[in-house]
Amino acid sequence: MKENKRSLGRRLIENDGVQTLLASLLCVLGGLLIGFIVLLVIEPSAAWGSITAVVKNFFRYPASLRGKYLGQTIVRTVPLLMCALSVLFAYKVGMFNIGAAGQYVIGACATLYCAIALKLPWIVCLLAGAAAGALLGAVSGVLKTLCNVNVVISGIMLNWISLYFTNNLLSRGGIKRPTGPETIQLINANPDALLPTLGLDKLFGEKSAGIAIPLALVIAVLVWVVLNKTKFGYELRATGNNPNAAKYAGMRENRNIILTMAIAGGLAGLGASLFFLTGLVDWETSISSVPDMGFNGIAVAFLGGLSPLGSILSAFFIQHITSGGGGVDLRFYSSQISSLISSLIIFLCAFVGFFKLAIQNRIRKGDEKRAADKPADTGKGGESQ
Amino acid sequence: MILLLQYTLIFASVLMLVALGGCFSEHSGVINIGLEGIMLIGALGGALAMKFIPTSVGAPVMILCVILAAALFGMLASLFLAVAAITFKADQTITGTAINMLAVAGATVAVKAMNTAASGGSDVSSEIAYTAAREFFTVRIGSFQFNWFMLVGLICLLVSYVCLYKTRFGLRLMACGEHPQAADSVGINVAKMRYAGVLISGLLGGLGGIVYITAGTNAWKFENGVAGFGFLALAVMIFGAWHPVKIALAALLFGFFRALGNVYTGIPFMAALKLNSTVYNMLPYIISLIVLAFTSKKSRAPKAEGIPYDKSQR
Amino acid sequence: MDNTPYAIEMLNITKRFPGIIANDNVTLRLRRGEIHALLGENGAGKSTLMSVLFGLYKPEEGVIKKDGKEVQIRDPNDANDLGIGMVHQHFKLVECFTVLDNIILGVEPTDKAGFIRKEEARKKVMELSERYGLKVDPDAVIEDISVGMQQRTEILKMLYRDNEILIFDEPTAVLTPQEIEELLKIMKNLAAEGKSILFISHKLNEIMSVADRCSILRKGKYIGTVDIAKTDKAELSRMMVGRDVEFVVHKEPAKPGDTVLEVSDMTVASKVHKNNAVKNVSFKVRSGEIVCIAGIDGNGQSELVYGISGLEPLVGGSLKLCGKDITRAPIRRRSTAGMSHIPEDRHKHGLVLDYTLEDNIVLQRYFEPEFTKMGFLRRKNIRAYAERLIGQYDVRSGQGPVTVARSMSGGNQQKAIIAREIDKDPRLLIAVQPTRGLDVGAIEYIHSQIVAQRDAGKAVLLVSLELDEVMNVSDRILVMYEGEIVGEFDPKKTTVEELGLYMAGARRMEVRG
Repeated sequence: MKENKRSLGRRLIENDGVQTLLASLLCVLGGLLIGFIVLLVIEPSAAWGSITAVVKNFFRYPASLRGKYLGQTIVRTVPLLMCALSVLFAYKVGMFNIGAAGQYVIGACATLYCAIALKLPWIVCLLAGAAAGALLGAVSGVLKTLCNVNVVISGIMLNWISLYFTNNLLSRGGIKRPTGPETIQLINANPDALLPTLGLDKLFGEKSAGIAIPLALVIAVLVWVVLNKTKFGYELRATGNNPNAAKYAGMRENRNIILTMAIAGGLAGLGASLFFLTGLVDWETSISSVPDMGFNGIAVAFLGGLSPLGSILSAFFIQHITSGGGGVDLRFYSSQISSLISSLIIFLCAFVGFFKLAIQNRIRKGDEKRAADKPADTGKGGESQ
Repeated sequence: MILLLQYTLIFASVLMLVALGGCFSEHSGVINIGLEGIMLIGALGGALAMKFIPTSVGAPVMILCVILAAALFGMLASLFLAVAAITFKADQTITGTAINMLAVAGATVAVKAMNTAASGGSDVSSEIAYTAAREFFTVRIGSFQFNWFMLVGLICLLVSYVCLYKTRFGLRLMACGEHPQAADSVGINVAKMRYAGVLISGLLGGLGGIVYITAGTNAWKFENGVAGFGFLALAVMIFGAWHPVKIALAALLFGFFRALGNVYTGIPFMAALKLNSTVYNMLPYIISLIVLAFTSKKSRAPKAEGIPYDKSQR
Repeated sequence: MDNTPYAIEMLNITKRFPGIIANDNVTLRLRRGEIHALLGENGAGKSTLMSVLFGLYKPEEGVIKKDGKEVQIRDPNDANDLGIGMVHQHFKLVECFTVLDNIILGVEPTDKAGFIRKEEARKKVMELSERYGLKVDPDAVIEDISVGMQQRTEILKMLYRDNEILIFDEPTAVLTPQEIEELLKIMKNLAAEGKSILFISHKLNEIMSVADRCSILRKGKYIGTVDIAKTDKAELSRMMVGRDVEFVVHKEPAKPGDTVLEVSDMTVASKVHKNNAVKNVSFKVRSGEIVCIAGIDGNGQSELVYGISGLEPLVGGSLKLCGKDITRAPIRRRSTAGMSHIPEDRHKHGLVLDYTLEDNIVLQRYFEPEFTKMGFLRRKNIRAYAERLIGQYDVRSGQGPVTVARSMSGGNQQKAIIAREIDKDPRLLIAVQPTRGLDVGAIEYIHSQIVAQRDAGKAVLLVSLELDEVMNVSDRILVMYEGEIVGEFDPKKTTVEELGLYMAGARRMEVRG
């Protein structure tokens, strides 16, 4: 074999990270393109201006305001990233955590209840959100291991249950504003519950920027470390890839599944805490559908190539265009055009596996051919068809 | 009480139609998580027909057109799943989730653009009203409001049963969901059958969508989606063990719990409980989760569902 | 067109895969009304040749003729249209359908509206069933019936389609001896009724008893065709393996020591049917000996190993490893107590296919302090350990320790598993069909490793379906039949024929290990 003589191009294309990046870029471009076509169909004259507004997001503001809007985008990126981490963590262990949406909701519920009704300090609220999400995730895990209920189905049911439960709990007196559907602003209800800002608020010129941002980044790295560097991660990935082999090797499948779902739920719940404790937005108790955050997390996770570090980039990008959606020409379009683009991207992500697999198959076939060409390779060709 | 019966029947019709759709798709071997989105797009098709077809055409024509529009739109939505999952062998769960998101975003963008253009910018809502046309679908029998869609549901149930268990098509469809290699080896085109299964689920899902949005209101805000009914229908399908008749019974049960939320204020002892409406909203989901917890151990999904069929792996 | 005696002719077929010629200028001629055996070892190219005939592969060279006329077979439908039918090694039956539905699937008799005319179909099936002596219950569901009846359903599927050319791909591997006998009788019936039969097998006895002629393939090459009446088993086997004597494992006599594994009254439930798969089995394995469990596939051998290794819980009985009770011990504790297990299905249990070779090599030891410290994997040590094993056991792969297991060849995957399990330095080594699907070179290597383990004082429990392997490698043979141990033998004092009788359930003795 002449491993060392392979061209740079081939080594690049063989690199999984490069393949993922290429595929993800393709999805993004495809999503933007189709989004642009939709704009064109609705009203050709304003389409170009609007699609560029989506892509520019904060750049479309005057320089003095850019920091503020960049700050807001990043603050909103945090929960998205956390939901993506939740989805990808479960996915590595072979489960599709569509329940991240509900875990996020229940996390928000616990956080805001602790903050507004119980007037607890931020750190407790944060932990409460994570714990609530973890509990809900664990319910899915237990249902899966004990009752054989598909995680997707239980996740969906729990999403709705969480939504109605949260709306019910948070619309009680003393939590909901008397005048509107939102919960009382944290700054008025319990300023101690607001996350420390670490001076980041001054850096961006945006009040809500704070500890949540570095914390989310640290957690993303932590997730990567746990999955790839630890014994626990080794077991989890083995369980995800081949549960039978994991069992054969003495790993405890049921325990790992429940633990995984609890961790995934905790990540999503913590995401809600890190968002709502910034005081940027309040919970709206009148919403009648599960917030998109968890579902967008799926898009982010797949767009990021199911890597925690890739997800940091893809989460920022998705939030970037979502925030940018506000910049479309509202005389003709609605800001949901950016949800359309991000859902198109996740739809295209479903094809990514296909394209990546095609590339890998070609490479593998080449390898097999070379391996087979080696005369002394015992065992090759011994397999029955 | 009659109101409760009426709502139970209409919600059961919705759940049954959509669950039957899921049943066809899964029997062909494709998991359809996207039913929620398919319902919404079907509802959009039906709502558009009701808005734009003049009421002067009369009830039969209107009903027919609305049904056709909803079915067609539903099938178009399901085509997204079919192409991705069958032709490109994409992950069916991701694709389905994407379709749910696409449907809400797409319908919202479209309806808002339509309203904005029609009103010159004063109406930017995602709402379509169909008050007049909706009258055509109901017939009063005493205090019971009969809805033609109940009949449509019943017909679809009978046709589904016969189609699955008495015809060549049904036998072949189910073979593809159980053992596609076996089907392929006797000359059945697995991809074609799976396309058929998914498209039928689009048809039925789309119908379910229009029935749902016309069940209790005269207008629908499309950014709200269909409130998880597509997902409930999936639970109904699992609880109904992928069998049309059992699905119908399961749909009645779930429809009843859903109807409670609409009418509990009118039932003295329930109103006296003073429970928040969210409790009733939650009820169907809680019940379905409990039911699934007790029945899933034994439940038998089509064996090959969720697995893209790869001719080279035999 | 009837001036040729041949129903099917495959002339000078060559099929290449990247780096390997699966069929090299192979010619096969099937006469009308004959039973023609196709003989060859695993990997000799039998399956490829049949796939070509069935339209699954397109050959690079060669032509196929039906009744003397050249035909193009592009897919299985073309094959069907030409009257070619096949009973696959793994049945293609829909498990939740009835026998009747499975038979008519794809060629359902319907009225104009598309409704199936079941009664008409049932009548035809019952006629065929009587005419050829193929007893089936048309309304039974496939998952409830015996393997033998499932196979008869497959045969009826071909007959229902009026197929003239019937291919049987290793049909006896899954059958009990009685069922085999019945099948051979049915095949003779079919041939007598004018059907032409291709019988793929590597079992010489069956070929001798049923076939008219036999074509032999070896390593993709066509070796020849012989008349069964004018040949004997010795000649056939010589043509099949290309050398005179059966390959014999060289080993010293065993020197058994203390009991390592003690199985008492073990009972294990079956996942397939409602009865127990293993019934009250008791035996011992001592250090320094190779005990072999022989038997026909599906007589409880897999479940026996699942029970011992902990993959399935016991219904009754007890297990002792080196004197310590492990009846209820979790898998991990059994492994650390000195049990190694080379599993039957390397893809299902043995490997995490998407893991690298090095990660697979530490699959049973990753938690040991050498490889894990404070919860973190010690990558450097894992790499060093993997490299040592790769070198020592000659595991070949594209990129060494970082090769993804999925991309390795079957033989090297198996070597990696064997390296992993043997290097654990176990007290007891369980090896289940360790040479399945491998070529002669790999088999030789694996046998020598197993014997080396025995000589190092390990207890070895070998489960094998191949009688040659049973006779050559083992020091003691236990025969399993329908979940029970029905005989114990010394390989030096028994014959294949005697073992066969016990494996078939025709004889049994009282055995208490």
